[in-house]
Amino acid sequence: MRAETLKGHLDGILLALLEQGPLHGYAIMEALRVRSGGHVDLPTGTVYPALHRLERAGLVAANWSQAGGRRRRVYQLTPAGKHSLETERGTWRDFSAVVSALLRPAPLAASPS
Amino acid sequence: MTGAAGHPRCPQEIDRYLAEVTARLPGPRKTRTGIVAELRSGLIDATESHLAAGLGPAQAVQAALGEFGDPGLIADGFLTEVAASQARQVAATLLVSGPLVGLLWLATAMTSHPAIRMAASWRLTTLPAGLGAGIELVAVAVAVTATAGALGIAVTGRLTRWLPAAPRHAPLAAAIAGFGAMGADGLGLGLLAAELAVTQARLPLLLAATAAAASAARLLLARRAACRCLALRASLVAAR
Repeated sequence: MRAETLKGHLDGILLALLEQGPLHGYAIMEALRVRSGGHVDLPTGTVYPALHRLERAGLVAANWSQAGGRRRRVYQLTPAGKHSLETERGTWRDFSAVVSALLRPAPLAASPS
Repeated sequence: MTGAAGHPRCPQEIDRYLAEVTARLPGPRKTRTGIVAELRSGLIDATESHLAAGLGPAQAVQAALGEFGDPGLIADGFLTEVAASQARQVAATLLVSGPLVGLLWLATAMTSHPAIRMAASWRLTTLPAGLGAGIELVAVAVAVTATAGALGIAVTGRLTRWLPAAPRHAPLAAAIAGFGAMGADGLGLGLLAAELAVTQARLPLLLAATAAAASAARLLLARRAACRCLALRASLVAAR
């Protein structure tokens, strides 16, 4: 799946990936691949800037952490990010319900007697 | 993995790749350094992941670099963030430095000019026409700087959740704030020169010299910052 297809939903997806706990940038990209069953493999040039944008908006917080002799920038959801994720989920549920109803094959009209 | 550039776990290929990203990344040094450090950490994670999957060291590095893609595309991807960071930094610096320089001018004017001292204490007074018009122009320039600076802050921070703005608007607002600051400081210096030339006002020399030096420095910095912001805006428009 290409980045353009996910346009408008990337922020919500990244927030959802961080719902279970803090992750660093590459772990977020791996989680994206794993949780999408390999269907979503976004370019790095899209994911890292999106994380920075979410940080700027106060939806995630980022801190450098040191573990195993390595420094990594770890992202975690803020309360505002959790709230935004819930809103995103609600919007997506409504949107997908409407589009599913519209795409569903119409029942055959009863033949005139 | 062994590597050069003093980083035992970072191969030369990754250093070269990051040097290319750095060369293409504009904006404040601190922002760029942070981005490159994060990319380095991600590239090492990716390399280790490919090593764990069974690739050899050289192939693992190549696979990681391939995963991250063209350095130019990575730099382009960060352009919006770098522009926002630059705009925010410029706007904040102008908003903080403005009142400080303004206070120096106010102190100079109140010490040297009785009419301004009286106006400041709300007593009815009439300023010389030229000085009055000059002060009004300074007020306009200050208002432009303050408004554009506040907008620059608003469209680059948490307010973006409620105030979505096109990325190119942030550097434009910061550039306008920079030009406003140049106007205010330039007018301040002009008024001082006029006062010295025309009225031979008795100026407190140290205070006036400090205010003039502060305004001259701010004028030059504001000009450089405004030009950088306009260049970033042009890059954003070109990348659309």
